[in-house]
Amino acid sequence: MNKAKRLCAIACLAVVATWLTTAQAQPSAAQTAIEAAKQYSGSTINVVWPAGVGALGQKVFAAPLFEQLTGVKVNIVEAPPTDVYIKVVAEHRAGTGGFDVVSLVPSWLTDLSIAGIIEPLDELVDKYGFAAELQGIEPAYRNNWMTHGGKIMAIPDDGDVLLLFYRKDLFNDPANKEAFKAKYGYELAVPTTWEQFSDIGWFFTNTYQPDLYGASVIHRSGLMQYFFQERFRNAGGRFFDVDSMDAQINDEIGVKVATQLQDEAEFMPPGSENWNPVEVLTAWLSGRVAMITWWPPPGRWSEGYGTDNEALKWVPESQIKGKVGYALSPGGNPELALGWSLAVSSNSRNKELAYLYIQWVNSEEISLQRVQLPYSLRDPFRASHFESAEYRSRWDNADEYLDVLRQGAQIGMLDLSIRNTFQYEEALARAMQRLMAGEDPQEVMNEAAANWDKVTRRTGVDKQRAAYEEWAAKPNAYPQ
Amino acid sequence: MNAQNSRWKRQKSLKKAVRFALALLLTAFFLAPVYWIFITALKSPEEIFAVPAVWFPEQLHFENFTSMFSAGELKPIFNSLLVATFSTLLALAVGTLAAYSLARYRTGGRALAVWIISLRMLPPIALAFPLFLFFAMLGWVDTYHGLILLYAAINLPYVIWVMRGFVEDVPLELEESAAIDGASRWQILWYVVFPLVRMGMLATGVFAFIYAMNEFAFAVVLTRVDVLTFTVKISHYFGNQTTSWAWIAGLAVLGSLPVFIAVLVMQRYLVRGMSMGAIKG
Amino acid sequence: MKNGRLNRTLIRNNMKSSTGGGAGDRRFQYLALSPAIVLLLLIGAFPVIYNLVLSFQSQTMLDPDTSFAGLANYQELLSDNRFWGAISHTLIIAGFALPVQLVLGLLMAHLFVGELPGKRLFIALLILPVVIAPVVAGAAWRLFLDNSFGPVNAIISWFAGGPVKLLWTVDPTLVYPTIIIVEVWQHTPFVFLLSLAALLAVDRSQVEAAQIDGASGWTVFWWITLPAIMPVLGMVMLIRFIDIMRIFEMVLSLTEGGPGTRTETLSLYTYTTGFKDFSLSYTGAIAFVTIIMMSVVLWVILGRMERGR
Repeated sequence: MNKAKRLCAIACLAVVATWLTTAQAQPSAAQTAIEAAKQYSGSTINVVWPAGVGALGQKVFAAPLFEQLTGVKVNIVEAPPTDVYIKVVAEHRAGTGGFDVVSLVPSWLTDLSIAGIIEPLDELVDKYGFAAELQGIEPAYRNNWMTHGGKIMAIPDDGDVLLLFYRKDLFNDPANKEAFKAKYGYELAVPTTWEQFSDIGWFFTNTYQPDLYGASVIHRSGLMQYFFQERFRNAGGRFFDVDSMDAQINDEIGVKVATQLQDEAEFMPPGSENWNPVEVLTAWLSGRVAMITWWPPPGRWSEGYGTDNEALKWVPESQIKGKVGYALSPGGNPELALGWSLAVSSNSRNKELAYLYIQWVNSEEISLQRVQLPYSLRDPFRASHFESAEYRSRWDNADEYLDVLRQGAQIGMLDLSIRNTFQYEEALARAMQRLMAGEDPQEVMNEAAANWDKVTRRTGVDKQRAAYEEWAAKPNAYPQ
Repeated sequence: MNAQNSRWKRQKSLKKAVRFALALLLTAFFLAPVYWIFITALKSPEEIFAVPAVWFPEQLHFENFTSMFSAGELKPIFNSLLVATFSTLLALAVGTLAAYSLARYRTGGRALAVWIISLRMLPPIALAFPLFLFFAMLGWVDTYHGLILLYAAINLPYVIWVMRGFVEDVPLELEESAAIDGASRWQILWYVVFPLVRMGMLATGVFAFIYAMNEFAFAVVLTRVDVLTFTVKISHYFGNQTTSWAWIAGLAVLGSLPVFIAVLVMQRYLVRGMSMGAIKG
Repeated sequence: MKNGRLNRTLIRNNMKSSTGGGAGDRRFQYLALSPAIVLLLLIGAFPVIYNLVLSFQSQTMLDPDTSFAGLANYQELLSDNRFWGAISHTLIIAGFALPVQLVLGLLMAHLFVGELPGKRLFIALLILPVVIAPVVAGAAWRLFLDNSFGPVNAIISWFAGGPVKLLWTVDPTLVYPTIIIVEVWQHTPFVFLLSLAALLAVDRSQVEAAQIDGASGWTVFWWITLPAIMPVLGMVMLIRFIDIMRIFEMVLSLTEGGPGTRTETLSLYTYTTGFKDFSLSYTGAIAFVTIIMMSVVLWVILGRMERGR
């Protein structure tokens, strides 16, 4: 029922939009895409999407609407986020042309482009007049995630950034403020360094445990490695020595960050050493931790926005409505970790249509609706999203939320993206796992660096240097 | 004499009680994790992440299953059942024929028999990548027929090995008298041998079915989307940013139930099936 | 059993004489076998040969380079600590889990030999872990052993009288015990069921005769029962050993091979090189070496067993 209502509303919106655009003479990118896609009515495209709730934004909203407007059937193919890469590469090797639109994490862009798995899009962008609307994407995403070798290879579609969520009620509590100052000699406030984060974490844990702990972060190895990447660079680390291409993640800075990551687990809930996003989220929503670092969605769910939806049944009811503050993760520049872009598979039998679907979902008009779907897991990435009056009124301090997100987008740092990125991430992930098992940080990082060097040698030092230099030259690769 | 007798009896019944208690304890140990995954599937999100753990939820929540159904998450169960069923049927048909040839003619001698059973024991993951490339060439990756053929092949050594035993149990005299009456080989197979090994085939089939239902290594490499099996889907949930234990547990329950039922029904043949025919229970 | 043996000695002569022997019969013999052989080649010959071919190239999933690369992959394999580590991890699991399964299964079988109320029901329930998918077993135990949300640590804490933190799937000192416990849990019932069948088949008259002669329970077990059930135990051990040597998804869902690569088994490593590193040729070398090692072990043991059949 809900769905029908929504569809109806969207159809109305589309009518209004059509009227607006015809009035303006210049048709919107969405409208152009729909008109052009109509000639493919009756055909089907396969779209790879990270599995889970996030895919519902496609399955429930975008795909049916596109079919209704154009007669093109959109088949959403799901794979777990970390496996999407494997599936895309394997599918390319299998060569069945099974995928038309490919979702990708921007850090895979280099590999997918070099291997010829995704198509350059410049001609299609020109042909269907998408260039103007692409300019509306936040510069950090547009300048870093879109091109390889000077060509447009993927369209940024998700403004991921690591945020710090904290409990305002606890931070503002006068008793806490007084006790904290007495103990640490400075005011209790949102941490801007990891040292402060640690002080505050210990303070809350010592004050409230076992009912509440200072903080919780995702320790699942494949995701935790992003935290290392972020903190290592904020502390002044460089991944490689450009001359030798030796890995430097085991230098003094790397070991210090690794040690911090390990020590912080001490004030987090006992047993959280292997927590996945869901466990962290559950502890947060049920009010058992004072701070978390996470991707943007908990900001929405903390306020109960959209969690009455059937698709979000698995989200425990929020006990912390109205008590949540937002900040960039400490240390300066937050990582634009993960994030998703859309690209056209070079094996696709209908590249033009695949592109049109991307242009349509990514357009100003449709993307604004998508980033507001409670279950879509797509976070604001266009200027118009951050500025949307509708979004800013979704809950009491939604405007604060969007401001912090935007700030993050402006100064955020990229995930490392070179050749065989996946193997470097995998090696780093294993190191994180060992840290959480309490092993010696120096030893752990030495092994990780050795593994990195091995991958570099296997890839070819010169080839890798070229890829690294291209990446490192991007404005958001290292803190400015 | 009498007093001694009754003491002996008492001792015996005490011993029996101790043994019963031990059996009870052991069963509890072996069932506890199974119980836990079943009950997790029926808990609310709050109860799943409750501290301390909840042994008996206040109310059974079947929403996990309905929400999985409406999200289209149950197709892997269907895929597993379909692939397991058809691969089992194929393996039984092909395998019983081969078993007959092996049992009655000793075709290929000991070497062939040993080669066949040794295939059952190779590590699947060591075979999966060449097969992936081969399937990719044929366009069989992520197709039903690809996986069905593969699972049939993987189960074949087992089926041949066990069915060989069942065929050997068929009295040779019956076949001989049919032959004297002028029946052809195929007729003998169909009218004499088949009715006598039918139960054996059923028992063997149950184990082939279980193996195919539970298989993971091949499926994880050779399926993507359409033919995703439930074991692979469960592993996907581990990698997800957002899915909860409720769905892992839900899928585990739905995937295990057919196997549990099959085993309970085929209790009589368990020993023979599991020992690959070595013990005729 | 005896009947079968008697029959076989007669088979050839009888079958031939009753049908007149001849070409038709031979055709039937091979015709019946041929579909099976075709299917078996799909898993038994093709992948083995293809692994060998791959191992002399330097193909990756991203780069289908089929040029001859010599023995480079095998050279790398020799000095690959992760590969040898994976083998030793697998052997460690087998070395501990196998004896425990065997002894525990035998003891359980002993418990169930005599009369027991509800015996059939007990056996029916005990067998369930064996038929559960290993990936489900791993998932169930991971949840069961979770420090915060699982019941095991709650029970231990209750006995200890205070919160106890045991990170079963994270702590380097606990990951092996955890994997071994789960392996023992899942497959002891298998040992149990087959041992029970074997025990029930032991000739009672011999045992009773020995008891009348005054032999102790232990003596009877060691000199009469054990030799009688030895063939079955041998086969049980073989099946379990082979299964543990290819242990994969259970470990994957418990520890993912971690922390680091501490619990990475041979199958897990093969999977990683193939599907995460995408080094198809290197994976081919690993797979080929694995297959050869396992085949040698198998042919020796199975050949002996088949001779005794």
